[in-house]
Amino acid sequence: MLLAAVAVLLPTLFWDRPIDTADMLRKAGCDRLYVPAGSEGAWRKQGFAASPFNRDSATKATAPKVEYHMDVASATRVPWVDANGWLFERHPANPYFYEVPSGSAALAAAEAFAYGVDAAIRAAPEDLPVLARMLRFLGGIDQPRLPVKANIGVIDDGSDELGEVLNLMARHNLLFHVIPAADPKYDLNVRLGEADYSKEEAANPYEFAMKVRRRLTDEKRLLRIYGSNVVLGRLSGEGSKARLHLLNYGRNTVHGLRVRVLGAYEEGKVSVFDHPDARLEDFSVQEGATEFTIAEMATYAVVDLTGRKDPK
Amino acid sequence: MLRRTFLQIAAAARAALAATDRRLPKYRVASHYAAGAQPGMPGPYPGRVVSCHAEKCIDAATEKPDDAVVREMMARGMRALTGDAELRDAWARFVGPSDVVGIKVNCSGAPGIMSSPVVVAEIVHNLIAVGVKPDAIWIYERFQEQVDTVHYDRYVPKDVQIWTAEGRRGSTESYDPATYVETTFFDEDDTRSNLIRLVANRFTKIINVPNMKDHGAAGVTGCLKNIAYGNFSNVARSHSNSETNTYSFIGTLACVEPLRSRTVLQVMDGLRGVWHGGPFSPNRKFRFYPKQIMFGTDPVAIDHLLLDVIEAKRKEEHAVSVWDRSPQHLHGPGGHENNPDVNDFIREPGHIEYAAGLGLGVYDSGRINVTRIEV
Repeated sequence: MLLAAVAVLLPTLFWDRPIDTADMLRKAGCDRLYVPAGSEGAWRKQGFAASPFNRDSATKATAPKVEYHMDVASATRVPWVDANGWLFERHPANPYFYEVPSGSAALAAAEAFAYGVDAAIRAAPEDLPVLARMLRFLGGIDQPRLPVKANIGVIDDGSDELGEVLNLMARHNLLFHVIPAADPKYDLNVRLGEADYSKEEAANPYEFAMKVRRRLTDEKRLLRIYGSNVVLGRLSGEGSKARLHLLNYGRNTVHGLRVRVLGAYEEGKVSVFDHPDARLEDFSVQEGATEFTIAEMATYAVVDLTGRKDPK
Repeated sequence: MLRRTFLQIAAAARAALAATDRRLPKYRVASHYAAGAQPGMPGPYPGRVVSCHAEKCIDAATEKPDDAVVREMMARGMRALTGDAELRDAWARFVGPSDVVGIKVNCSGAPGIMSSPVVVAEIVHNLIAVGVKPDAIWIYERFQEQVDTVHYDRYVPKDVQIWTAEGRRGSTESYDPATYVETTFFDEDDTRSNLIRLVANRFTKIINVPNMKDHGAAGVTGCLKNIAYGNFSNVARSHSNSETNTYSFIGTLACVEPLRSRTVLQVMDGLRGVWHGGPFSPNRKFRFYPKQIMFGTDPVAIDHLLLDVIEAKRKEEHAVSVWDRSPQHLHGPGGHENNPDVNDFIREPGHIEYAAGLGLGVYDSGRINVTRIEV
């Protein structure tokens, strides 16, 4: 089967500072820029690949991060992940604009790349070296993209309520497609307002997402992640191949991330940002699912699985 | 070792609870290990406990143990448990020269309370005496920062390994990805608790050395809690708000092979105790001094006695019972850390009887045979 080729989009640094900051950019290794319209000529003269970007007409993306809220009654700290995947799934063709605080630029770039959206990132100057390194890393990932995998179809009514539900589903690695009408190819179709998924229930988007999870069952989930509750994944695949993007929204490196992908794949390889020697450990195939461990992952990893024995 | 995978809902667990209307989580146990011919728990001495008391084993004012008295307690306790005249013979019943032995200490209350270095050192001494190589002895715990406060290295030969599963809190790399209990308590994302790799792949025997402590969720923490929550990852997820699943989770974890089969001896260190606020012990006013060590192979029988000790002490202090489930004692004034009449969770001391239902030991007081020794 032919792989579906999708245009590759790399996120881009948005730079609206004076032209005399060119040396700072060069030193950091940034050579591709989005700039305010009208200034691209000046930047090109400095040797940059500069394109105009209208931040006002772009959709604003949230700075990706984790906030910890104390669970009132227990000693545990409940993480709240600020992620944009649900928004990108809902409006994949929009251009996006990130304005991120120091420490978030690399993750923003990886997030936009994982979802294949056109994104401009306004980063703090101190983040330029790591952002440039991340952009080089992303640019080196093999293409083409594969079709996104999901087994939950969500019929979008465009409401804010559903947006929050999508946010919570993405946050819990419940992989969905936003679709115009119910489709039997999905294991579960969700339409807000139907008896099973009332608008009243959507007032609590967490509980709503958990209801979707229970209906699907964990056994049927395409992706499970163990060892962190702040790593989110996006899965694509076709025929015997699959690609998994993993994004760590937490501040700390994850040690010993265990991943389960539905489907029996024979082999896998991993590329981990800033860990060139990374490899998949404890690779196993059981009960129709493939599992592996990534020993260390700070921000982003991409896993390629091949040789699926039961292509669907 | 049989290479089989056991995937099961804990049917036995449900059977154990048939008489109640409590709703239990569904557990799926994954393990490649089969049970030994005689699992270490309850082992060769079901229902049998030796309790050795010595008034001079610790100075309650300074909390300094008397090493010589503790050694005497250890020797007499082990001989009484086995009936052997020679101490070496007593230890040889449990370990041999070819064994790789894990000593599961408890350091969650350190430095206020922990498996005492003198007790651990005496265990190490006796293991070496029966031929276990020092570098085949592993003193282990889950969290590095807790063990670091104890300095076991100052009490044991230098080749003895002192190891923790989580040098960095939350790291899962030291846990076996193929041996775990899967369940969801509160819709958490990570639904697995994995067994420490060394337990699965390296240790041939385990000696469990818990303390005598109250526990805010489990009621008490003794043999069962230390061997269960102390050997698996991601267990704190069993508590949320005022609810805890320690009732069934502790016994379920303790039953996972090879943990159950390889845990051959229980030595409960009760030189110090915690009667409220456990498993931690930042507040010395809640520590007390039972001045005893209990020996056995049956974790249920020992923990039942522990329950009696903690409950009696709480009664003496006019504190609410560990069995109290009343809402008015949840999250009250002063907080659990300071007020012995306040609970963070509805405690589950019934986890001990539940574990008996899983075959881990004897809970019925009438069938527990206690030998009391005064040193």
